[in-house]
Amino acid sequence: MKPLRVAVGLSLAVLATLALGALHMPAPPDLFLLVVADMARGGAAVPAMLVGLPAGLLQDGLFGPGRLLGLHAFSKILIGYLLATVGARTVVEKPLAVGGLLAGAVLVEAATLTFLIWVLKGDFLPPAPWPLAARALATGVLGGLLYAASRVPWKQRRAARRRVRLS
Amino acid sequence: MAAPTLAERRPEIFLAVLLSLCLVALSLQVRRPGGRTVGEGWLLTAVSPFVDLVTSVRSGVHEIGTWAMSRRALRFENRALTAEVARLRGELLRLRDAEEDKGRLLELFGAQPSPPPGTIPARLIAVDSSGPFHTALLDRGASDGLQLDGVVLATGGLLGRVIALGPRTARVQLLSDKTAAVGVLLTHAARAGRAAVAKGDGMGSVSIEYVPTIEPVEPDDALVSSGTDGVYPGGLPVGRVASVRRNKTLFWEIQVSAAADPHRESLVFVLPPVRKSDVTSGPSVADRH
Repeated sequence: MKPLRVAVGLSLAVLATLALGALHMPAPPDLFLLVVADMARGGAAVPAMLVGLPAGLLQDGLFGPGRLLGLHAFSKILIGYLLATVGARTVVEKPLAVGGLLAGAVLVEAATLTFLIWVLKGDFLPPAPWPLAARALATGVLGGLLYAASRVPWKQRRAARRRVRLS
Repeated sequence: MAAPTLAERRPEIFLAVLLSLCLVALSLQVRRPGGRTVGEGWLLTAVSPFVDLVTSVRSGVHEIGTWAMSRRALRFENRALTAEVARLRGELLRLRDAEEDKGRLLELFGAQPSPPPGTIPARLIAVDSSGPFHTALLDRGASDGLQLDGVVLATGGLLGRVIALGPRTARVQLLSDKTAAVGVLLTHAARAGRAAVAKGDGMGSVSIEYVPTIEPVEPDDALVSSGTDGVYPGGLPVGRVASVRRNKTLFWEIQVSAAADPHRESLVFVLPPVRKSDVTSGPSVADRH
């Protein structure tokens, strides 16, 4: 089920990112990061990194600057490892904490990308702070909401409603 | 707390591998201003020590080969130069000898040497003055035309006479020999010559005997052969008076400083022996020559 879940997640991320781009949203959330974070939630680092690789490659293929295929892959693999490590050593259950963790992951990824571009191209191009903060916030909020939604027992509620309707 | 095993480190290893792959992929895409990718740059930087090593080894082998070749060539050249130096050194010695001989000839015979007829040049190859009998050895002998009683003349003056002849050598009795004697004239600028006999003392000096104290004799008076002894021609320089001393007898004790030092001469001339008919008390043979 996991590969299917990853495939669906990545497909949705591509579609949503393209859609948000088409809408000219100034600071869209990092949807690929959400897929990676979802995989790292159980504390499994290797699957998280394995998801981070295609997620980053997709992001590079779609939006990568200067045809640098592998830039986001690098950062996503690193983020996947870090999130999995945090997930394995701490208990993060509150959506707010999850949102904060994801926002921090966005900042770490931005720093990683800046460092990589500086090393590879020799150009130090730090991201603009406000758009970065907005992106981190958007990703954190969306991630927190999705996490909260994922914790709702939808099946039990639906079964309870059906039982009420039948009775 | 036990250290984590390799299996427990699996995520970190996996992370390192994946990140390395990404870095390699990225470095192969980024081109630097020189047209070279970053990966190529890193690769060249990584292999440059090996390239330097190979280059160093190659140049070292080349230098060793060159050194061996040049050493061989230098050895041959050194041998040739050593032989050349030895040859030139010999040539230099010969030229110096010739120069000295030329100087002596000029000193003896003037600017245009014209030795007397029958004069034979010879080299003084050995001097023996250790005992009472003082002799010298010449490198010419009977086969070169030397005769017994030939008069041996050096640059400074009279040296002695030939007393023994070999085919290629001759022995000379020096004036300082204990048994040598030569008739001399004591001359002074203000006086006429006074005949006397100079004798060797066997100790390297020559003295004059039997000059009465009534005769005025002063140091630095010149002595020339008188030509009356039947052995030496007259007029040849013999020496100068070195010291004059009165002893208990009626005669002066006169020491002579010889004109020719056999230890400092290398080139001498041997004059033909004096003929009995030439023995006079008048004009000297040297004047005739």
